[in-house]
Amino acid sequence: MDDVGRAQAREHIELVERILEQSSRRLRVGGEFFVIWGFYSAAAILVMQLVVDRLLPQVAFWALLPLLLAAVVFSSLRGRAIARCKGRMTAVEREFFTVLWIAIGMAFLANVAGFRIFPQWGMAGLWTVATAIVLFFIGAHGNRRATFGGILQVVALLLANLVPDQAGYILAAGMLAGYGGFGLVELLASD
Amino acid sequence: MDELLLSKMRLGIVAELLGAHWVAFSELQRSLGASNGNLGAHVAKLIDAGYVAEEKSFVARRPQTRYRLTDRGRDAFATHVAQLQALLEGES
Repeated sequence: MDDVGRAQAREHIELVERILEQSSRRLRVGGEFFVIWGFYSAAAILVMQLVVDRLLPQVAFWALLPLLLAAVVFSSLRGRAIARCKGRMTAVEREFFTVLWIAIGMAFLANVAGFRIFPQWGMAGLWTVATAIVLFFIGAHGNRRATFGGILQVVALLLANLVPDQAGYILAAGMLAGYGGFGLVELLASD
Repeated sequence: MDELLLSKMRLGIVAELLGAHWVAFSELQRSLGASNGNLGAHVAKLIDAGYVAEEKSFVARRPQTRYRLTDRGRDAFATHVAQLQALLEGES
């Protein structure tokens, strides 16, 4: 169409730029999922450390099962409720879920299928790396709180390596503060 | 240029869908500030041209219609915007 004027072309380009700028807005994630899974993961690592220190009997691991089930049921129900209310799923949100499933899925697979090749705290370390990747991905989309949470987890990993006897306590604290703490701050910020 | 995308409303719809995996009708309406009938008519033209795909479902027993951009729509949008930019650069 040769009859498109310069003013109209500029107006349309500006419209497109404005819409694209709005749609590339910061990645928003549900803080409640991070609180729940941060708490569960920290509890699991802590129980492992307490069992290793003989402060709890091995049967204490069974106490984690209802916590795990509660986290799975909550995540499933809440996820469905959020999906129903959402008017749109942005491309970056879809990318986030892909990264989440790959990172957490690979860590889970390594924990289940590769439990013989990881030494005592290897699995907890893997979870820490996977959750830190998720946080850094969110951080890369402009969320400094997520970056800070990821850094806390990396610091916990390095410290645990220096103090292997206390590795469980340190990794649990890193998980609670870095992952769960990020979720809590997100929840507070969204109110 | 793509005659279908010379409409500001249709160009806006495609731009909204470009950065999204999918967008519900109500969300498009809110973002573009369009009336029900006006938006529906423009979206229908984009669907007929194969630029936009429509998905209908029920959410909590209420009907929901959502849209996503097809590869054809994405290509048409990229070509159209490039031509608009070329026009601006050519005359500057």
